[in-house]
Amino acid sequence: MNLEKDIEKCQITQKLILPIMYDYKRKRDLLIDENQKEQMRTELRKIKEKAIDNIEELKKKAIKNLEENGINVIEVKDKQEFENAIKKIIGSEKLITKSKSNVIKEIEIEKMLKDKEILETDLGDFIVQISDEKSLHPVTPGMHLTPENIVKTIKEKFDKEVQPTPEAIAAFARQFLRDKIYKAKVGLTGANVISADGSIFILENEGNISLISRIVDKHIVVTGWDKIVENREEAQKIVQASSIFASGQNYPVYVSIISGPSKTADIQKKLIIGAQGAKEVHLILLDNKRSDLLKTEFEELLYCINCGACVNLCPVYHQIFTKYGSKDFSGPKGVITSSFREDKQNAYENGAFFCTSCKLCKENCPVKIDLSELIKKLRKKLAKEKIEPENIKEMIENTKKYGNPFGEIDEKKTPDKFYCC
Amino acid sequence: MGLIKSIKNLGKNTLYYPGCLTKFVLKDINDNYKKILTKIDIEYITLKDLEVCCGSPILNCGHEEEAIELIKKNYKIFKEHSVNKIITSCPACYHTFKNTYPKFLEKWDLQVEHITQTIDKAIKEKKINIESLDIDLTYHDPCHLGRYCEIYQEPRNILKKIGNIKEMKLTENYSFCCGGGSGVKSNYTPLANSIAKERIEMAKETKAKCLTTTCPMCYLNLKENSKDLKVKEISQLIIGEEE
Repeated sequence: MNLEKDIEKCQITQKLILPIMYDYKRKRDLLIDENQKEQMRTELRKIKEKAIDNIEELKKKAIKNLEENGINVIEVKDKQEFENAIKKIIGSEKLITKSKSNVIKEIEIEKMLKDKEILETDLGDFIVQISDEKSLHPVTPGMHLTPENIVKTIKEKFDKEVQPTPEAIAAFARQFLRDKIYKAKVGLTGANVISADGSIFILENEGNISLISRIVDKHIVVTGWDKIVENREEAQKIVQASSIFASGQNYPVYVSIISGPSKTADIQKKLIIGAQGAKEVHLILLDNKRSDLLKTEFEELLYCINCGACVNLCPVYHQIFTKYGSKDFSGPKGVITSSFREDKQNAYENGAFFCTSCKLCKENCPVKIDLSELIKKLRKKLAKEKIEPENIKEMIENTKKYGNPFGEIDEKKTPDKFYCC
Repeated sequence: MGLIKSIKNLGKNTLYYPGCLTKFVLKDINDNYKKILTKIDIEYITLKDLEVCCGSPILNCGHEEEAIELIKKNYKIFKEHSVNKIITSCPACYHTFKNTYPKFLEKWDLQVEHITQTIDKAIKEKKINIESLDIDLTYHDPCHLGRYCEIYQEPRNILKKIGNIKEMKLTENYSFCCGGGSGVKSNYTPLANSIAKERIEMAKETKAKCLTTTCPMCYLNLKENSKDLKVKEISQLIIGEEE
């Protein structure tokens, strides 16, 4: 951990990103006022509380309804089970088109499917992928890369001259990705919400998900069971909030509501599964330690709708970006999940003590997750194993001995270690 | 003086609790507030080194048991001195006394006031006349006072007497942190400094001549990281100290 260096390295990124983050808030304020925001948050919180409280029942109901609709639902516990399941579905196909998914990030799919070409089709992720970079943000992963850098990478990787403008890059990507999307027989996407009445909701602006999910033979959806809610009406509310809180946009350009493989009965009423869209839809519900959060003091994390609003205004994230959090999620949420998915030492290195407890993430969260409080609970667990900054031990000794965090007070001298608040 | 008053007002003492950072590091701020309290005719006692840390930094780093020790110690000493009301100038202490002590001490029955509430009330009752410095200033809401306790208006009411408030883009319930809280100032100083610099940029954008706040940690961290924007703790402006 070398914070000073990390902060310095992030200074250029900071200049690019911070205006986008401030503008996000400004745009959102134009869409909804404080009262509407509060109403939306309260309603969403209720929807998620109800779902998670009753998740076992709800999951059963969802699986039953999805399967009745012709969707193959597979529950997997961990990476290994996921690997077995996905390899079976993919079979010998070599090219897989993929869209953005934070859940897929949890399982490092590239390592699992080394003999396949997994192509990111979301522009931001595509840029990140070809640049061999790390995703910067759960919703806008490539916002730290400049047009100049991107066209350089395109030249290196594809030997194509592209003007260093966002327009030219998008045009290049459109052509390049379409060629691939038309060829691929297997497509991989995430999901934003699963409604227990039998539908999968996926939102996007670019159109790649709509294309993938219709053109391929096999559409594989990977998500966590925590995305399940009661019905389509509730799902629709989450879709809208995801858009507003993630990027300050009123509604996503496309919302795919997928309730089964494509079908037709136009020829003599004979039902044929696999008409013009996907022939098979597979839904992999990943646990990956989510069950360990259920009925614990960290259960609230399962309410998360993955919009990334918690880091959009986070003071720590604004300085060091991906150095705060885990590989699958930036910021305090990633820190906490890494204590479950990796271990406590990892959670410490991911920034368990970086949080200033400012609670702006909670204020900005569409489901009011109190990440500052959850971080304190995590610190409590780490403290029991003495995984904490050295200063803390000294500060506590001081309060025990002298009643204040600074130590013995010399009237002529002012303490210089400001351990307080 | 404190002790004599304490005997005289048996069962109804008001304690001024500056908090460790103000008491031991920002001694001039401590003096300012004592002067202000006297000026608005509030009889108060101080407990100097009899009282201990409120427990906030210890709770924030996950050491609940050690914090409970301090909470019990403070309660005992407050009761011994017949304290029934605490006025504090530190937002973290305020939040801890107001919201956390009742969670750990069922019998906790002390009134708690943040000093900006005390001063705001005194202004309304015309017990204090705050002179205008006729400047454009911007106010940084401390997280513990704002989001934790929803005190947004009282400090602004005071500041309106002093100058013209120019709000930053992230303000009130959306206030951006100064970066110093929860031990970050001492555990990860470069991080605290970097956050403070981002906040100062927001303050500069308002074109205000002075950035002011009412939290010792915010004040310290912002002041240390501000090159050309003046940073003032609200008490300094109340007593008319512009420079």
